[in-house]
Amino acid sequence: MTALIVGALIAVAAVVLVSLPFLRSSGDDVGSSTELQDRRLMLIDERDRTIAALKELEFDHRTGKIDDTDYRALVGPLRRAAAEVLQALDAEE
Amino acid sequence: MADLGRAALVVSLGLTLYAFIGGTIGALQKRRRLSDSARNALVAAFGSTLVAAAVLAIALVHHDFSFVYVYSHTSKGLGTIYALSAFWGGQEGSLLLWLLVLSGYGALAAVLNRRLLRDLIDWVVPVIAGIASFFALILVAVASPFQTQVRALDGLGLTPSLQNPYMVAHPPMLYLGYVGLTVPFAFAAAAMLSGHTDERWIVATRRWTLAAWMFLGFGQLLGAHWAYVEVGWGGYYAWDPVENAALMPWLAATAFLHSVMVQERKGMLKVWNMILVALAFELAVFGDFLTRSGVIQSIHSFAQSSIGAWFLGFVVATTLFSVALILWRLPLLRARTKLESALSREATFLYNNLFLVALCLTVLWGVLFPVLSDLFLGQSRTMSRPYYDFFLRIFGLPLLLLMGIGPLIAWRRASVRSLLKTLRWPIGVSIVAGIGLIALGAGSSRPGLIEYTFSAFVLTTIVVELVRGTRATGSLFQLIGRNRRRYGGYVVHFAIVMLAIGIAGSSAYATVKEQKLLPGQSMTVAGHTVTYTRLERGRSGTANELRAVLTLSGREHGTLKSGVNNYFTGDTSKEVGIHTDWLRLEDTYVIFDQQEGKGVFFKVLVKPLVNMIWLAGFVFLGGSLVALWPDAREQRRLVARLALARG
Amino acid sequence: MVALAVAGVLAVFLLYTALGGNSTPLLQPSNLAGHTGTISLTGKVRGPVNGDAKSTGGLQFGLHNINGASTIVPIAFHGSVPDLFKVGRDVNLTGQLDANGTFVATQMTTKCPSKYTATPYKA
Repeated sequence: MTALIVGALIAVAAVVLVSLPFLRSSGDDVGSSTELQDRRLMLIDERDRTIAALKELEFDHRTGKIDDTDYRALVGPLRRAAAEVLQALDAEE
Repeated sequence: MADLGRAALVVSLGLTLYAFIGGTIGALQKRRRLSDSARNALVAAFGSTLVAAAVLAIALVHHDFSFVYVYSHTSKGLGTIYALSAFWGGQEGSLLLWLLVLSGYGALAAVLNRRLLRDLIDWVVPVIAGIASFFALILVAVASPFQTQVRALDGLGLTPSLQNPYMVAHPPMLYLGYVGLTVPFAFAAAAMLSGHTDERWIVATRRWTLAAWMFLGFGQLLGAHWAYVEVGWGGYYAWDPVENAALMPWLAATAFLHSVMVQERKGMLKVWNMILVALAFELAVFGDFLTRSGVIQSIHSFAQSSIGAWFLGFVVATTLFSVALILWRLPLLRARTKLESALSREATFLYNNLFLVALCLTVLWGVLFPVLSDLFLGQSRTMSRPYYDFFLRIFGLPLLLLMGIGPLIAWRRASVRSLLKTLRWPIGVSIVAGIGLIALGAGSSRPGLIEYTFSAFVLTTIVVELVRGTRATGSLFQLIGRNRRRYGGYVVHFAIVMLAIGIAGSSAYATVKEQKLLPGQSMTVAGHTVTYTRLERGRSGTANELRAVLTLSGREHGTLKSGVNNYFTGDTSKEVGIHTDWLRLEDTYVIFDQQEGKGVFFKVLVKPLVNMIWLAGFVFLGGSLVALWPDAREQRRLVARLALARG
Repeated sequence: MVALAVAGVLAVFLLYTALGGNSTPLLQPSNLAGHTGTISLTGKVRGPVNGDAKSTGGLQFGLHNINGASTIVPIAFHGSVPDLFKVGRDVNLTGQLDANGTFVATQMTTKCPSKYTATPYKA
């Protein structure tokens, strides 16, 4: 007897859960990102990445993993890349 | 009750199929409500599977022998914990566990990420649901745990050697690992299906992958420890197909874990990462197939159970799917930056990938060799230990070295000069260590010596990193807190080095001796004198227990008992005696081989540093947990990022 | 560069397998006859079991194919007898065929314990 009740309960719960989204009043709008949003997202990712790389470079230089010569060689291009991304992001706004 | 279980599984099948088909249509046609409904169906599937699992668990604990499964794997005298552990002791139950964990993980992943990564989740749900519906189908149509019979008076019982705490924990832990690898795979597939192949899927699944990898690794160590103390041949790994079944996905997952760091930082190795995550997933399922079908032991046993054919078909289908996806999306997976130098951190990650995959494929080749040689050479041949040992060294030793070089080498381009300068301490220490080791006699095994020396190298690099970092930030605690992932990773590397040292010591430097002893006689092995004093006879609820009492003198002092259990069911099992020297981490291992008249044949092994291996397991867990620990700052940044992007 | 590395790895690999001598034939009692050298033999244990693994004659028993009928190969085993050894169980043996047609084995393993039940196999 308990088995039957539990069984019926699961079935009902399943049906309810599955149909819930269809009972919403809001329509089928996608909510997925458009191309513009995608590009923005990618620029933001790149900005975060470049800044993180700069921070890591500074840290490695401070702890002596990278010597002055190597640091000077690497920091220039990274700073330029970061500036470019920030400029591109500003342009988007 | 069995009816409820069966019904619940049918409901699970229906729900997962709906989530699979509905989810696919919803994602293709961008129908939000259908996608949400599919996601809910996956969550509901977890619920119904949970009910089915509860039915089986209750039947096991109540010793309900009208369930064929309960009858086949337990008996009246079995305690609750072992009765419950029989859940995963057999085919049908372990399949149910797989489905339970899979639907649970899937539901969790979908619900946690439903707002942040909607466009990915829309595809993640059907991928996971598709995989889950396969398992649900098997459970409903091929291997049901809910077959019933006329209620029997007692069951067949659980094999004695499985009645061991390690064997209780080992399968669930492995499953949390195997099944856990499905989540990153599903996200990767979703990334390719949706066209959003940027790093979001990696960032989202990083902790899932790490957790799965941690469980899989620790689960293997549990199994190895069980083999060591319970199966009792003196070893812990036999390169058996069933063992390799867990090792292969773990190696692929290790490569994946490291390789994604390069994609996150540099946008490189995108194709590699797709291949690696698919490889890890496929090997996990393939490993399951290996363990279940018994196909490798003898190609003829394939016919014994049709389940092998189903699994093989599933592995082939999912592999083809992954390959097709990757080929289709190849243009999207082109790297943003190129490899600038063969001497850079990016390059070391690449070498890391290559060696790990090479080792993984070597093991795979060894596992498949009997089947392939039968098919192509007409005769089944098998690869034995020397094959595996050889390649473990060829690929493993460079990997050990890379573990040391990797963290210290700079990104983009490292000059030889700066690299040597950074590595001066590690190189120096390892040379000194090498000389010292030779003086201590470690030169008796060349591979062992190399392994020890490389280990010293890696240990020093970890110490150097920690010291340098602490000097820069002020405190070790702060240092680790700032970058949990990196320093947690270093702790894990430390654990791997401990593992390497333990394995080298206990295999390359072990001593074995066999001798027949009469009471009062002794034998000497590697500085330990083992004296056989007397025989003790005892009795437990399940067996007659025979124990030889031995005393240890010489390097270490103590008593141990080694003997045999003669179970009332007719089985016997050797119960080995192990004495551990905690200072040296060395074990004296005594096997009661056979009685002959008044004497006993004993096999004594002295295994140096073997306990490093078990200790490494704890360090491994600790390091993984540090790396896994949620970082509030990171979460906030992720949310802010997405909010910004939405505009 | 990746291509070079992969090629290097493959070369090591092929060299090793080509040099051979590291794979052992995996046989059953039915196709054992005539093979020399070290062999890995899989089959089902058949009684009667005589002798003992530590004596010169070794532990003596018969082995036949796991599936289907086949000739019974006499086995003489020297070494440690694994826990799960029993008439009716499947074992794997490593050894050589001697001049008398007896398979002299020095290693024996049984399958993963979860594959067995506690009661004796119904032959």
